[in-house]
Amino acid sequence: MRFTISIFLIILISYVQTSFAQKYSPILITFSPIIEEEQLVLHKRYVLKDNDTLSIENLRFYISGIQLFNNNNLVWKEKNSFHLIDQEDTNSKIISLTVNKNILYNKVSFNLGIDSLTNVSGAYGGDLDPTKGMYWTWQSGYINLKMEGISSLCGTNNHEFQLHLGGYQAPYNSLQYITLSIDNPKKINILLDMSEVMKSIHLKKEHHIMSPSDSAVKHSNTIANCFKIASP
Amino acid sequence: MKKLYVIGLLFLLMSFTARKQLFLTPKNWPDPWYNFSKNKLSRDKIALGRALFYDPILSKNNTISCASCHSQFSAFTHVDHALSHGIRDSIGIRNAPALMNLAWQKEFMRDGAINHLDMQALAPISNAAEMGSSIDSVVYKLQNTKRYPSLYFKAFRDSSITGEKTLKAIAQFMLTLVSANSKYDKVLRKEAKFTEQELNGYTLFQKNCSSCHQEPLFTNGKFANIGLPIDSMLKDYGRMGITKNPEDSLKFKVPTLRNIEFSYPYMHDGRFKKLSEVLNHYTKSIIISKSVAPELINPLILTSREKVDLTAFLLTLTDKEFLFNREFSYPKELLLNIK
Repeated sequence: MRFTISIFLIILISYVQTSFAQKYSPILITFSPIIEEEQLVLHKRYVLKDNDTLSIENLRFYISGIQLFNNNNLVWKEKNSFHLIDQEDTNSKIISLTVNKNILYNKVSFNLGIDSLTNVSGAYGGDLDPTKGMYWTWQSGYINLKMEGISSLCGTNNHEFQLHLGGYQAPYNSLQYITLSIDNPKKINILLDMSEVMKSIHLKKEHHIMSPSDSAVKHSNTIANCFKIASP
Repeated sequence: MKKLYVIGLLFLLMSFTARKQLFLTPKNWPDPWYNFSKNKLSRDKIALGRALFYDPILSKNNTISCASCHSQFSAFTHVDHALSHGIRDSIGIRNAPALMNLAWQKEFMRDGAINHLDMQALAPISNAAEMGSSIDSVVYKLQNTKRYPSLYFKAFRDSSITGEKTLKAIAQFMLTLVSANSKYDKVLRKEAKFTEQELNGYTLFQKNCSSCHQEPLFTNGKFANIGLPIDSMLKDYGRMGITKNPEDSLKFKVPTLRNIEFSYPYMHDGRFKKLSEVLNHYTKSIIISKSVAPELINPLILTSREKVDLTAFLLTLTDKEFLFNREFSYPKELLLNIK
């Protein structure tokens, strides 16, 4: 009796599993920061135009609220969608979405940062856990993006710069909504072009941003415009 | 048989009602602001939070606990200390606020920098002049104790220690700090009577103070500039530091007046030691500026007799049961027996 029950259970489970696998397939979204047309390497010294040198020591940002669209119709959204992308951690840069195979889509959208409701709703775990170092302690709020490094342009101690961009309250709401069209729906590779970012941030003048402000909003917007789909 | 069921059901009901509620909204109070559904109270979580509140492991060099600046007998403020004291005798810029009825509070710190009770503990843990640590190093230290993994297991059915659990447990303990059993409360519940002097003080209070120090919490939860001269050393502009809005210059959160008898010194920088100094400020010393509270543009007029009566009323806000409740005190059984 027991034997037949277990056989039955095994068949049932494998059926459920295969039907799940048939119905759903993972879609991989990869985030790849690049600089000077190549993959960004942390701590590497890059020579940019005008012989300015730059190295990025730390690059981390939140991607949240991932949605898929087909011709502007929302067809899928990720539940509990909060991802901390850390340049130092390769695994963090690949997000796997479990989407019904039959769904057609040609656009992806997501937020750069954490929405205001989450910002005011207390403590969360996982990628949102304050131990991740992406939460301001002296004033509540997530840091949407951290970029730290060394630039010859900075007249600071050791030429260091630290941009901690965040802020969820008007007029300093720095959350950015990004929509990109997709050519190949199976594998979505999203580039963040740091060369473009550096063209718009004047590190000579702005090398330390560590609280919600006009500049934090402006730079968040600039960075949001530097996300693009990799050409296949 | 049916009878047995009924009796059993009755027993079940009785055992439920006999268990003390972990949190009760006092009669005639507004609903709490805190969303309990996202952090459901349990006895073990509260106990964990209480242990963390009293444990100096939260500070960089294991010398300062939350209770160092928030001691129960002074309504969880730092008695006799104008400015808060942190590790290595460092001195902060503000007076530690009294802690009570936090479930009804929307914003925390004198300037409202913190938007949720869960996140409040991060500020003192990280401030260099308070505990000088960080939540990740606190979590790391807790993981390497004998005591805490089992306390976390009891509380969360999982011994892993995270920032989220740590903060939520501390918040749970703080949520239980409800003070609603002062003489004032008993009078409202018709269990006690004001003296004539207290009653006169109550009338004066309602006329002069209650628009900001709203009953029953004795605060409206807003920020106000009460016309104090700025301290030239501290240069603290309060709420404006958070909003960057000049209209918020010199505004600080309206504090509750409950247990005011024991929560001296007063004001955001603890500049007044006595209640009489506070009342004298309101009658004599208000500095009028653009952001000053409109209620204070005309100074309060109180005779010295009226000041005494008003003070007598303020003393009826003392809740001895709260100040000496053993459920809020140092948890010897949790922190002393195992090392």
